[in-house]
Amino acid sequence: MALQYMASPVPDRELKKGSAELMILSLLENRPRHGYEIAQLIELRSRGAIRFNVASLYPLLYRLEKRNWIRGRWVEKAGQRRRRYYRLTASGKNVLSKQRAGWREFVEAINLITGIQRA
Amino acid sequence: MPDFKVEIRARLAEVGLSPVREAEIVEELSQHLEDEYERALSCGASEDEARQQVLEQLNTPDLLRRELKHVEPRGSEDPIALGTERKTNIFADLQQDLRYGLRTLAKNPAFTSIAIIALALAIGANSAIFSVVDAVLLRPLPFKNPNQLVMLWENAAHLGFPRDTPSPANFLDWQKQVTSFTGMAAMSERSFNLTGLGEPERLEGRRVSANLFELLGVTARLGRTFVPEDDKPGTHVVLLSHSLWQRRFGSDPGIIGRALTLNGESYTVIGVMPPFVQLPGFDNRNDQLWVPIAFPAEEAAEHGNHFLEVIARLKPGVTLKQARAEMDTIAARLEQEYPTYNTRRGAVVVPLHEQLVGEIRPALLILLGAVGFVLLIACANVANLLLARAAVRQKEIALRLALGASRSRLTRQFLTESVLLALFGAGLGLLLALAGIRVLRTFIPVTIAQVETITIDGTVLVFTLFVALVTGIAFGLVPAIQGSHFNLNNTLKGGGRDSGGGSKGNRIRSLLVIGEVAVSFVLLIGAGLLIKSFLHLRNLDPGFRSDHLLTMKVNLSEVKYPDRERRAAFFDEVMRHVHELPGVQSAAVAGNLPLTYNGDSMSISVEGVPDPPPGQQPDVIYRATGPGYFATMGIPIVRGRDFTDQDNGDSKDVVIISEKTARQFWPGQDPIGKRLKPGSSTSNSPWREVIGIVKDVRQNDFVASPKRQMYFTYRQLKNIAANALVVRTSIEPVSLAVPVRNAIWSVDKDQTVADIDTMDHIVAQAVARQRFSMLLLGLFAALALLLASIGIYGVMSYSVAQRTREIGIRIALGARRADVLQMTLKQALKLVGVGMILGLAAAFLLTRVLQTLLFGISATDPITFLGISLVLLAVAILASYIPALRATKVDPLVALRGQ
Repeated sequence: MALQYMASPVPDRELKKGSAELMILSLLENRPRHGYEIAQLIELRSRGAIRFNVASLYPLLYRLEKRNWIRGRWVEKAGQRRRRYYRLTASGKNVLSKQRAGWREFVEAINLITGIQRA
Repeated sequence: MPDFKVEIRARLAEVGLSPVREAEIVEELSQHLEDEYERALSCGASEDEARQQVLEQLNTPDLLRRELKHVEPRGSEDPIALGTERKTNIFADLQQDLRYGLRTLAKNPAFTSIAIIALALAIGANSAIFSVVDAVLLRPLPFKNPNQLVMLWENAAHLGFPRDTPSPANFLDWQKQVTSFTGMAAMSERSFNLTGLGEPERLEGRRVSANLFELLGVTARLGRTFVPEDDKPGTHVVLLSHSLWQRRFGSDPGIIGRALTLNGESYTVIGVMPPFVQLPGFDNRNDQLWVPIAFPAEEAAEHGNHFLEVIARLKPGVTLKQARAEMDTIAARLEQEYPTYNTRRGAVVVPLHEQLVGEIRPALLILLGAVGFVLLIACANVANLLLARAAVRQKEIALRLALGASRSRLTRQFLTESVLLALFGAGLGLLLALAGIRVLRTFIPVTIAQVETITIDGTVLVFTLFVALVTGIAFGLVPAIQGSHFNLNNTLKGGGRDSGGGSKGNRIRSLLVIGEVAVSFVLLIGAGLLIKSFLHLRNLDPGFRSDHLLTMKVNLSEVKYPDRERRAAFFDEVMRHVHELPGVQSAAVAGNLPLTYNGDSMSISVEGVPDPPPGQQPDVIYRATGPGYFATMGIPIVRGRDFTDQDNGDSKDVVIISEKTARQFWPGQDPIGKRLKPGSSTSNSPWREVIGIVKDVRQNDFVASPKRQMYFTYRQLKNIAANALVVRTSIEPVSLAVPVRNAIWSVDKDQTVADIDTMDHIVAQAVARQRFSMLLLGLFAALALLLASIGIYGVMSYSVAQRTREIGIRIALGARRADVLQMTLKQALKLVGVGMILGLAAAFLLTRVLQTLLFGISATDPITFLGISLVLLAVAILASYIPALRATKVDPLVALRGQ
């Protein structure tokens, strides 16, 4: 059974939140996506290890939108119902690159301490 | 597909999102859940299992609500649908209404400016008149506890003087015996010739009891007021008015203690009064100095010489009624004690305020009523405009109602708009009032109020604001209710034409026009009556010819000219010089010119006729004049002859009487050669022979019919001096003022010359009050007529515009243009006719209040009523003719296609 993200064993709440933000911003880096697509991609790329719940994903999206890191817009496409697509804003791009660097350092530090070899 | 929206909505309920935002979130989340559901199905789950799986996501207790609460603001903005029923605070609504109202008004500049101008005229008139009413009637008098102050008079109604000036002896007796007052003070006019300080000047002043200023609660600005020790004959101290101190002494702070020469005697200045001190009483607004009254012993014993004005202050707790009762008792006692002088003489107690404003009060209240009427008409006009506009705005209103606006909320919105209009009107009106007051000041008779006190002050501003609010609500209410109560369905279905504002709106508009016509009719009648009455007044024969007459006061000093010989010598010399001036036709010495003085009368006895009982001697006005007076004044000599230079102290004493005096004392006889004397037949004054009879002259009062009069020549008078000069000119009289004055100064360089004026102006002043009422009421009536005609025009224009199709059909069916014109005019005249009938009835009732202001005509003067009816009818026809003409120009094709 796939791990429910919010119920994951990672202890630090801030860490979780930070990593969830980083994941969403990363997924929007190249093109706009709607909520379901974001959830699907996270599940897919983590090979089912991380799954987002509706009740936690959307509040997070709204929060990012409010911080002006991403912007949602209703888009109608021929033959489809309208959906809300989120894209990265300029300030979102900035945040993304900073968070990425931070994570890299963090993961490297953990690796050094726990002695896990890089793949 | 299960409906996830219900589930989501249930979980969002507590977050308190705005409806729009909630709908968005529900849509987004349900899409997500539907996708999950599809996926579960495709993975082989049954519908039920799939549903369970999906819903599980929502089931972490409280998660969604908690998470969203951190992110989403509560009750965020939703689109504004004006007037929708939301429980928000009234101020937010008001702000919204104000903004919307301003936008609406700005979008209709023509409507807005017409409405604002109409309101500004009416509100401005109200503010201007109110500022006068406030200054004259409402503002408390500038004395300590002015409500306690009263004036005391003797009642000699049997002689035609219901408020007669008390005599010194009676005043002193009152003062001794009365207990209702904390104090009682007397005043008496006195003029002073100020000499020895550059140009001689005649100053009006007053002798006053020493306690007067204390009684009034007025203190000196410099020095002190009088103390009881000053009130003794021979004490020569003087108080200066602020203006005299400024003007003549350059506000010299060291004036106290300085000696001034007044009437040839030296007086010490003991104080300077604050600015604008005015003693209550007659003609005292220009008092420039005051001295103690200090009755000499012989004056204090005078019961028969009435010349005082008496003011008193009620003791706290004593009512006017009690004071009157006590004064009646005292007067009755004095009547028994001194029957010769006091028979039938009572005492009158009049509150000071009533004394000062009693005469002008009715006129001012009538004017205030008149401007109120003008305001009513303006309200009706604007209400009419609003009604017509409400008809145009029906679609907007219908839309807002359909979007959920409540009718009460719409009513509020309309009222806000009308109050806004009224406030703008009031703002502009205040500017008009400011300008109006400037003009008013020049017309306000000096006896009414000091013009400086008539200003737009806080009280007037509050009044104007109040009037504006009431006005706004008054003219806005009907259109607001009418506008928000119509059949929504009809309007939306019918494309907003011919519904709602239709028949009912027309009826209200018609009623408003009828009201306007009625009210303006009343005003016009009032104005017409006053104008006619004023013309009557101006056409009154004053008994003399006022044109080309120059007059001036020449008060001789009693010290320098103590006897008639010296006075005669002075005047002879002056006359010689004046007669030589080019432009002078004739000139004469006079005493107290007509309409400038209110006193000087005495009882007389006729030779051969037994004296009437005490208190019933007829009173006759007397004047001291010189030869040529009647010719110069243009007073016709009916019989006999004028005085000549030979009528002097050495010849027999003579008198000239007026026609009325002749009829009274010698009915059916020729009075020439008959004799009379002042006082009773046993008095020791000499008998005087009647040598001439002249026409009656309006001496004291222009309006009342002339009283009995007689004239003496000043050359035969020991104690009464002539005090004026009258010059008939062949050129503009004012141009001779300086030459005549110089002629006087060439005889005596210290002689004062005062009140240089033309007789025409004196007569005009005598009817200033009537002119004031007439001009203002006339102005307001004209304003009312203008507003009413605009109202008629507006209603007829609207009606024609509404009936374009009907008129088009009529014309298409063969109606002639003349028929259409007639039909439209008939419609207008029906309204005007009803309004005039109502106005006629109202005028019959209301003009009765004018009765006291009218002279020579009745308040229901048929000619005025008829004339005004014709004027109003003519204006009404004119106002409805233009729209009627437009109706005849309707092109049937265009009218029908336009529908």
